Amino acid sequence: MNRREFLKITAMAGAGVMLPYELQTLAAAIPPDMVIAHGALPQKVTQTAIEAMGGMKRFIDKGDIVVVKPNIGWDRTPEYAANTNPVVVATLVRLCLEAGAKKVKVFDNPVNDARRCYVQSGIADAARRAGAEVSFTDERRFKDVAINGQALKTWPLYTDILEADKIINVPIAKTHGLTKLTLGFKNWMGVMGGRRGRIHFSIDEKLVDVARVIKPTLTVLDAVHILTAGGPQGGDVRDVKTLGIVAASIDPVAVDAFGATLFGLTGGDIGYVKLGHEAGLGTMDFQKLKIKKITI
Amino acid sequence: MRAARFFDSILKLKTSNIKLSFLRKASQAFFLLLFLFLFIQTQSKGFDTLGYPVRVFLDFDPLILATTFLAGHAVPKAMLLALATIVLTVLLGRVFCGWICPLGTLHNLVGAVPVRRKAVSAGLYRLKYYLLIVILAGSLFGLEVSGIFDPISIVIRSLTLSLYPLFNRVLMAVLAGADAVGGAGFTAGVYENLRGGVLAFNPPYYLQSAFIGLIFLAILLANLIQKRFWCRYFCPLGALLGILSRFSILGIKVSEGCTACGACAAHCQADAITDGGQGRKSSECLICFDCDDPCPSSAVGYGRLSRRAPLNLSRRGVVTSLASGVLLAPFLRLSPPVSNPLLIRPPGALPEPEFLKHCVKCGECMKVCLTGGLQPTLLEAGLEGVWTPRLVPRIGYCEYNCTLCGQVCPTGAIKRLTRAEKVEVVIGLATIDKSRCLPHSHARACIACQEVCPTSPKAVWLEEAAVKNHDGATVRLNQPHIDLQRCIGCGICEKVCPVSDRPAIYVTSLGESRSPDNQL
Repeated sequence: MNRREFLKITAMAGAGVMLPYELQTLAAAIPPDMVIAHGALPQKVTQTAIEAMGGMKRFIDKGDIVVVKPNIGWDRTPEYAANTNPVVVATLVRLCLEAGAKKVKVFDNPVNDARRCYVQSGIADAARRAGAEVSFTDERRFKDVAINGQALKTWPLYTDILEADKIINVPIAKTHGLTKLTLGFKNWMGVMGGRRGRIHFSIDEKLVDVARVIKPTLTVLDAVHILTAGGPQGGDVRDVKTLGIVAASIDPVAVDAFGATLFGLTGGDIGYVKLGHEAGLGTMDFQKLKIKKITI
Repeated sequence: MRAARFFDSILKLKTSNIKLSFLRKASQAFFLLLFLFLFIQTQSKGFDTLGYPVRVFLDFDPLILATTFLAGHAVPKAMLLALATIVLTVLLGRVFCGWICPLGTLHNLVGAVPVRRKAVSAGLYRLKYYLLIVILAGSLFGLEVSGIFDPISIVIRSLTLSLYPLFNRVLMAVLAGADAVGGAGFTAGVYENLRGGVLAFNPPYYLQSAFIGLIFLAILLANLIQKRFWCRYFCPLGALLGILSRFSILGIKVSEGCTACGACAAHCQADAITDGGQGRKSSECLICFDCDDPCPSSAVGYGRLSRRAPLNLSRRGVVTSLASGVLLAPFLRLSPPVSNPLLIRPPGALPEPEFLKHCVKCGECMKVCLTGGLQPTLLEAGLEGVWTPRLVPRIGYCEYNCTLCGQVCPTGAIKRLTRAEKVEVVIGLATIDKSRCLPHSHARACIACQEVCPTSPKAVWLEEAAVKNHDGATVRLNQPHIDLQRCIGCGICEKVCPVSDRPAIYVTSLGESRSPDNQL
């Protein structure tokens, strides 16, 4: 809660004292910790989720430099659900700019050829049209960062993510051979440089270590289409399931724990969710949070 | 012939006002810049197709047309553009060499260095014709070696594999220097603008870069011995165009005002001047007009040729080169016909014997390869296949949806495939070296190979296993295996394998679709 929110809420509380019958409205004015929105149009669903979270102005201040970090890891077109939905990304970019962000940066350090990933995913084009600054990661701009975690002591991370005022993580929910699922925590692979193959040993510990350093203001899980098999790269549309869900939360562990339920798992089944919970980065018992579910 | 006379009169008019050598230089500058522009364009922007690949220059190359026709018995339609060069040459003489060829222009640039040049044996110009005969006779028997000597092929290959990587390295060092002065990220904006344009998207690295660069350097430095040394004595394309312009309709003429003072002789870029300046050999003349400027009596003109000097090849030379060409093919193929596991050809490559009959070693496939995995061979494909492409997955894998190498190949050595066709082509198979694999041998979870495998379902499949670690404790983890029915040999698994020096999973050419023999 920042100062503005605090003042807003106290003012409302004051009003509530004067007008007791509006006490119920007060409860409604405290924004939820997580919103799970569901509907047919990804743009509408994303916008509704953010509005229900209290609007983008709750997270973005005027003049902020914002990083919106989707998954653009694979040379796949959107129907394969291997990358974040371009409409979800574009909507977030637009909302950030409308909330007064000075600049919104969109990038990823893909596994496949970056040029193809950016074009084929549809994200570069959609985000650019929404006003984002879309750029390829520049090998020279990964900086060794002291992480001092359990499994990672230092690792090169991307300058733009370290320098951003606000970070919005926009992962897509997919299966993964090693971590079972790739969700929000796993999406930080895309701001990591170096030989990422080495991350695969003790991957859960390492992902949690990175999450100690990178703290998103908001995590928006794209479950418009989820990849139920063959992840993270996919390649067969029969493995794609359309859910029409976008979940937004201020708690990065909770949103991943919710994501696990979409695959019939729980947060405790996913190594990095469990470890993230234990490390105090959030809670995997997301049901205990204030959640708002919306169907459009 | 009225047209020729018309042309003639225009040129006569022009000679009085504008120096024709200046026009020629402007044309050379234009074509060199066009070449460099197309060269830069020959890289992916992320779409399935390319804009304007530099192969256009090879499409206009009649030597490549001739050898592809003779050796490969098939000619890609685009190569019929080379007929235009033939017509141009028969009409105007070797203007391709003098006015267009980018290598010729580079020769001129180095040739402009003022050093005392030595006289080279007068008959040496014949060498290029003999070389041409060797190449053509060889190609009649299915041997494609023209690319080694063809100027367009040389310049694309040398630029791709050596000069452009060097240029990238130098420019990146300059940017790094600027960053050191101006602070980190100082040149980030500049780099972003140059990257994927003047600068390569990924820093290019090639095996043999220095070797190929040294050969190119030698070819260019030969201009210090004699201007256009390569063109005069070696260039087989120049020889082919020389034979055509032996019969050309128009050419440089010397009028009766010539006093045979010999002032032009020192300026000739080729061995074209005869009779102390009074004659021109149209087969050697590059129509550069450098003999025009120094002529004190303005006797040099351009027009319809009436008398044409013969090539003067020796019978013995012709017979020897014919015989060498004929014997060269069997001679180069004396090694045992076994598949080399390291010879992973790009997807769409013809069966090896056919591939070797088509590939002109221009290196465009290597230029355009998204990951930089296509590298020049040295002897992996025999001496005949030197500088042909092979995939080295440790350097770069074959991108699943990419079909660019087939799009830029000028001769069809790599077939142009659709995306749907390409993903069905097997270029090799992955093998797991269990003794190095972390989950198989060291009780450590990994499966990076399975994560990146692009086929669907994945060709790397997992088996859950309980293994003991060094403490004797049982660890449950997934061990990777290869599904031979699904693996296409793209090598992304080998590329990402965290066992960094010798990977625990690697691809060999085994199972390649193009070979009926190299199968399990």
